[in-house]
Formats: sequence, structure tokens, C-alpha cells
Amino acid sequence: MKPVKLLAASLVVLAALGATTGAAAQSDDDKVVLTIGLTQDLDTPNVTAGELVSSYELYNLQYASPTDLASADFATSPGLAESWEVSDDGRTVTYTLREGLAWSDDTPLTAEDIAYTINRSRDEEWLNYSSTVANLTAEAPDERTVVVTSKVNDPRLPGLSLYIVPKHVWEKVPADDVGTYAALDGVGSGPFTLSEWKKGQFWRMEANPNFWRGQVEIDEVVFRVFRNADAMVAALRSGELDAAHNVPASSFPDLETEEGIVAVAGEQGGFDYLVVNSYDNEPERDTEVFDAPHPALTDPVVRQAIAHAIDKETLVERVLNGIATPGTTMSPSPNPAWIPELTEDEVYEFDLDKANQLLEDAGYTDSNGNGIREYEGEDIVLRYAIRSESEYSKPYAEFITGWLEQIGLDTTLSTYDDGQLIEVAGKGDFDLYVWGWTPFVDPDPMLSYFKCDQISVDASDFSNYYNDTGLCDPEYDELYTQQNVELDPDRRQEIVHEMLTRFYTSAAYIVAATSPDLQAYRTDRFTGWVKQPAETGPVLFSNSSPSYWNLTPTGESSSDSGLSTGGFVAIAIAGVLGIVLVGWYFLRRRTAEERE
Amino acid sequence: MTARFVVGKVLGALGTLVFVVVFNFFLFRVVESNPVATLYRGRNLTDTQREELTRQFGLEGSKLEQFWHYLEQTAQLNFGRSYATNQPVIDEIWAAAPQTIALVGTATVLSMVIGILMGISAGWRRGTNQDRVLTSTSIVTWSTPEFWLGMILLTFFAVRLGLFPTGGISDPSASASGLGHLLDQIHHMVLPCLTLTIAYLGEYALIMRSSVIDVSREDYLTLARAKGLRDSQVRDRHAVRNALLPSTALIAISFGFVLSGAITVETVFSWPGLGLLTYESLRGPDLPMLQGLFLLFSLAVIVFNLAADLLYPYLDPRVRHQ
Repeated sequence: MKPVKLLAASLVVLAALGATTGAAAQSDDDKVVLTIGLTQDLDTPNVTAGELVSSYELYNLQYASPTDLASADFATSPGLAESWEVSDDGRTVTYTLREGLAWSDDTPLTAEDIAYTINRSRDEEWLNYSSTVANLTAEAPDERTVVVTSKVNDPRLPGLSLYIVPKHVWEKVPADDVGTYAALDGVGSGPFTLSEWKKGQFWRMEANPNFWRGQVEIDEVVFRVFRNADAMVAALRSGELDAAHNVPASSFPDLETEEGIVAVAGEQGGFDYLVVNSYDNEPERDTEVFDAPHPALTDPVVRQAIAHAIDKETLVERVLNGIATPGTTMSPSPNPAWIPELTEDEVYEFDLDKANQLLEDAGYTDSNGNGIREYEGEDIVLRYAIRSESEYSKPYAEFITGWLEQIGLDTTLSTYDDGQLIEVAGKGDFDLYVWGWTPFVDPDPMLSYFKCDQISVDASDFSNYYNDTGLCDPEYDELYTQQNVELDPDRRQEIVHEMLTRFYTSAAYIVAATSPDLQAYRTDRFTGWVKQPAETGPVLFSNSSPSYWNLTPTGESSSDSGLSTGGFVAIAIAGVLGIVLVGWYFLRRRTAEERE
Repeated sequence: MTARFVVGKVLGALGTLVFVVVFNFFLFRVVESNPVATLYRGRNLTDTQREELTRQFGLEGSKLEQFWHYLEQTAQLNFGRSYATNQPVIDEIWAAAPQTIALVGTATVLSMVIGILMGISAGWRRGTNQDRVLTSTSIVTWSTPEFWLGMILLTFFAVRLGLFPTGGISDPSASASGLGHLLDQIHHMVLPCLTLTIAYLGEYALIMRSSVIDVSREDYLTLARAKGLRDSQVRDRHAVRNALLPSTALIAISFGFVLSGAITVETVFSWPGLGLLTYESLRGPDLPMLQGLFLLFSLAVIVFNLAADLLYPYLDPRVRHQ
């Protein structure tokens, strides 16, 4: 057979295969299904143990919380509890639950479930719970009343954002198995509960008829896992998906201009920072084991010069494809209200001349004329670490080291994977690198990372630290302690603003840019997508995922594939004909040989 | 074939296996890093939780103690729990293996059949246009990167024409069961399978072509022709049978690589098999999972190599009598 004929025949067979098997797979029921594409599978449906963003979306949908986070600004709003009363000292809150609450399996949901979740997770230090419940004790005097008492002042109260687990399911799980329980029970109190998980492929959640807001308008949500983000974008375009999370930055601009698709760069407080190793022998650590930053970096003036040498606008444009916002202070929460307004004097604007002047005035001069400033007679060479696991790390390094060169600071580059870099940074064996954080709703955890006691001093474990700046500022620690117990929200916000301004001024942490979540959704099948927080936030994978219970179908059916049924039939007929022709050709040839 | 020959080969395979088991442990620990810190960065763990996780991950004690523990566990076929999912590694591997065997196994068989047929026809008519076309096609497909070919086929057949799905193994919105479900899975398998078939067939074609050429100079073919046999009979009964010998070894070894063979293609098509599991685990890095996978992959190659070694003397009496 001639190669061309063979190719043509194969194409026809392929098309037929596509049409026949594809037609067989068409879905045949009228369920309203929302299909979401993402690039990450669940790690575990077990709410006590999961750590991936994908799993948190599952928890948000499956487990309702005593109090909810308002979509617009994360304000505490009623959830399973319809109202609450706070004691005079602010440490005891009495919640009243809604009437007739039930789990998705129709078991009544009572105050006992809430008290059980709080007390057990505190006693057993459940991974995803302990930071919320460490100081709480709960009692359930009757079915609809929960009394929660905190040992200390807790500014998060009366807000109680906690995934309440069904006692009748979890009491069968012994303490030792809590972390490894597979949690496929699918019993929940949120808008949707897990009904099927095909590892590596998709998970399916069906509407919970007992959801406290009333049943939602979608029957089922399917999360499809793509390992190939470009294929995910293609599936969104073709209508196989209704929305996609973690759209690649390269296709984001195209989606922004595409009709019928809305692209969202949702800010959730995530940011990229340049850390400057500022460790200055406080708190003390074993100098035999631990390394130290370049001594010039312990001088705040040098750090300020570096801060003046970073052009955040250019980093956003050239490194991040323009899809981000230049950074200001460190961002401790997805709620922008926590970020202070900096005055013009406080801001380190991009100004290489000023940076050079600062260094010159402080006595870091270039006496031998090689273009590099000296510290005690030696050229200043800084150790810059690159993260092999981030596509942006290298381009960041190229721009940043270029600017540093222009202010007379030389750099050497080393590349590490994330696990290595955590250890290298823990040993203090670096001067600069770029990494990122994503904060929780409450600013406390993020703020706590930069206390003196979070500096790496544990010689037996170089990963036992959070404060990668090595900067110890006792005043900051003092403010941290104050906000940690301040029950007046306005006063607490003031303290946090002061802390962040202080931290910004130290120039140990130079926030380059925000790191938004890139998402996109189709407008043809559903309306009612909700951004959290309002205007700037993402529509999916946010802190309490309000879109799902707010969506309504438009009534249009999904265009499942590019071809109509007629097209499929035509191709199938063509395919069968093709196969017959090919078969006939071979048969004829064989008999011809026999006739030879 | 003597008993000594068999015992020698089996012992050789066992020795390789022991080496792999030991090497496997150190391979993933060359780089100092603490998985607890990497996986739980920014999670605000308490000290007790950190200790508990370190214990769960089997990271307490010295390297030597960890190594001993690893040997004990591996001997009992316990590969530990995945850092990422907290489930036993062996369960995760069993869950992913059938998909890979279906995909890569089918592609290996298809590419073998097509490639060998191509090689026979090219070698038998050496120097003709047909030979030139087939040989250059084989070289091109053999040297094409699989993931690139996969992306091209995906873009054309799935995105442009909408004939095939963009990835995965089944359509979650299709509630079909039985035959419908099977057809749905075949529908999803066509493109990745086609990619792998095209990528693999060149190797078979080229090896088969050169063995057919070698054989075609043999005297017994002249004799067969002299007996008045038709050209196709000379080819099929006398040339191909002898020319298949070198391919047999290749075939056996290829089956050894079925399990590990498709990391990039499984990733392009989101095919939830062992290749994808490997890719995911590398990103963690999920050490117990990687250890389990590498051990399994090595084991498959060792077993099929042994099979090839033991099979060869049966097929080729010359080896037997040596």
C-alpha cells in the first residue's frame, strides 16, 4: 500500500474511532453539573490532614462552619450559628445554632458535634485545627447552644471559622488513625459533599439537600485534574469545562480578550519577596555550625540602598507578564484592610542614584575602581540563591543582580531545590533570594513568622524556623504580643499597621509583587460568580468559596464537543466505509499473490 | 542449557536487585533536605506536630538507623506511606498500574507489530523507494520527542477537531457503565496510545530491517529460491523467522520498560498511571513513593531481562550449544 493511502486510511479509521467511542460516552441525564478544571489533585479528603489548595476547596464545600466569612471582606457572619453573645471579658462566646440543622446523611447536626470537634481536635492536636482551637474549650448545654471559652484573649472570636466534623462518623476513628483516615464517608454540612474520587482524574461532589442556606441550584460539581495546563485551557475553550483554576500565565492574556470567557487574576494576599539576610548575632547561635550574612547587610543603610535598587514595576512587567501588582509591605492576610498606607517618605521608590548616594555616604566606596564597593577593604560579593522549582526565580535573579551591580554590589548565584534552600537558609548560608508566601485570613500566623524566636537557632534541625530574614526586632515582638490579645478590632488593626510599617522600613523583606491566582470561567452556562474579597479576589479556591452556592444555571446546555450528533454519524459512516475499503484492498492483494 | 546457566542468570538478577534496593535508599538522600519543612512550609506547626510528622515519615534517628528500618520494611514488601497522601505507597502504585499497563502495553504491542512489519518490508526490498520512505519515517518518529508529538496530536485531534478528549481516562459527566464505560476509556486512550505507538515503532522497524538484511545474504535463502518457492514464502518462512531473533531480545526488554515507559506522555494527556505518579512524586519530593516506584521499575526490567536471557537459548540452538 502506498504511504499516502495508508496515512489517509489511518486518519479515517482514527476519526471513526473518535466518533464511535465518543458518541458512546455522551452523558444522558439532565443533571446540572458544574465542571471545574485544575492542575492539582486532592492530597486527601481528610479534613484534619490535607494541605493542598485543592483539598481546602473540598473542605470549604463539604464542611460548614459555626460562623462564616463574608464574601466581600471576610467579616464574621452567621453560619451554622444564627447568633451569638460575647461575655464581658470577651473570652466566652455563647452561640445559638439554627433550628433543624442536619448532616447530609440526615443525622441531626447539634451543638454536640461542634463541641466534639473543638475539644477533640485540641486534645489530639489535629494538624489543620490546632492553631484555631489550641486555647478553646467548648460545651454543649443543649442541642442548639454551644459555649466556647478561650484561655486567653483571642481577637478572632466571636469568629469561629472551623470545619465541623460529624461526630457520628469521626468517633469511630481512633486517635492514632486520625491523620491517615481515608475520609471517603462523604458526610458533611456544606453545600456539596464528596461522592466519588478517582485519584489523579477527578472528584465529584453532589449537592447537600440539608445545607443550611437551602439547597443550591447545581446538582453536582466535578473537579477535573489536568496535568497539562494547556490542555485544560483548551477544554475550557471547547466548553468541556465551566471554569479553570491555575491557568498558565502564557495563555492568560488570550483568555482575557476571548468572548464568552472571563479571566480573573484573583489576589488573596499571596506575594513574592526578596529576603535580605539580616541576622546580627541576636538571638545567639553556634557560629561553628551556623553561617552569617555578609556583614554589610547588618547595616540598615545597605539594605535600604538595595530596596531603592529594586524596580518592582519592571519585575511585574518583565518577569510576571504584567499579571500582578507591585508590592508594598508584607501582606499578612487576603484582606487588604490589614495593609497600611505608607507615606511618601516611607516608600523605597526605585532610584539607583539615591541608592548609590546612600552607600557612598555610609562609607562603602569603590577605592580600587573595579566597579564594586568594598567593606573593610574587600569587594562586597553577596550570595544569591535561585529556586530551581520556580519558573520565575531565575528571571527575578537576572534583573535584581543587574540592578545590584549598578549600585556596586557583586553577587554569586547558586541554585537549590526548595527542600535544600530551606536548610541552606536555616544555616544562614545565603544573602539574598526570592520566594513567596500565601497568608491565612487572620494576620496572626504571618506576623508571628518574623519574631525573634522564629529565627533559626536549632543546630539539630536547620528547617526549624520561619524568620528567614534573621532580623530580630524586640519592638516588633512587643507589638506582636499586643495585637495577639487585643480584642478591639480597630486598635488591633492600628497595631498591625505599625508592625508592618516597621518591618517594611527595616528593608529586610522587600516585597516584589503580589502573586495572584489566575482563573477563568465561561459565561454561557452559569451566572453569579463571587469574588472573595470583593473586586480583587478570585472566584474559586478562595477562603470560604462563596461562588458555589451562589451560581445559577443560565439554562443553556453545554456545547460538549465541537461536533453535532449529525457530524458524529457522518464520520462514523465514513469510518466504517474506510475500514471496509482497507480490508477489501488487503484481501484483493492476498488473492492476487495466491494467483501468482 | 545447563542448570548452571540458569542458576547463574538468576543469581545475577538477584544481585542486581539487591544493589538496586541499597542504591535506591541513598539515591534519594544525596541531597540534604527535610520533607516535613518542605511540605508544611507556612503551616504554623506546633513542635509536637513537627515531631509527630518526622516520626510518621520515618525520618527520626541516624541515617544508618533509617537505612536499617528501610531494609526491614522493604523485605516485608512495606514501602511506607506517601508523604503527599498519607496512604500506603503500595496501594497507590497498585491503583495506578493498570492504567499504565493498558496504555503502554497496548502501544508496545502495536508498535512492535507495525514496526516489525515495516522493518521486514523495508529490509526485504532494500534500496527501493519503499525502503527509503519507511527507513526515514522510522528515524524521524524514533527521534521525535514523545511529549512534543503528544502536544501536536492533542492540539490537532482534541482541540481543533474535537474528536477526542483533552485528557484523563474517563469522562466524569458520563454515567455510562459496562460497554459504554469501556468505549469511553478507549476514546480517552486513542491519542496517548497513538503517540506512544508512533514514538516506539521506529526502533523495532530499524532493528528488524537490519536483521532482515543480514539474513538475506544467507545461503539457505538462495537454496529456498532454488527450490522454486515464491518470494513471499522465502521471506515469511525462511528469512523472517531467523531475522526475528535479535528482535526477541528487544521485545523482552521493552516489556520491562512498560511500567516506567510513559512519564511525559502520561503527563501531557493527564493519564493517571505510574508515569504521572512518578512526575507528581518528583515534585514533592515524595521519597517513599519514589523509592517504591523506582524499585518496581527496576524489578520489572530485571525480571524481563532474565526472561530474555533464559528464553534465548530455546529460540537459538547456537546459544544452547555453546
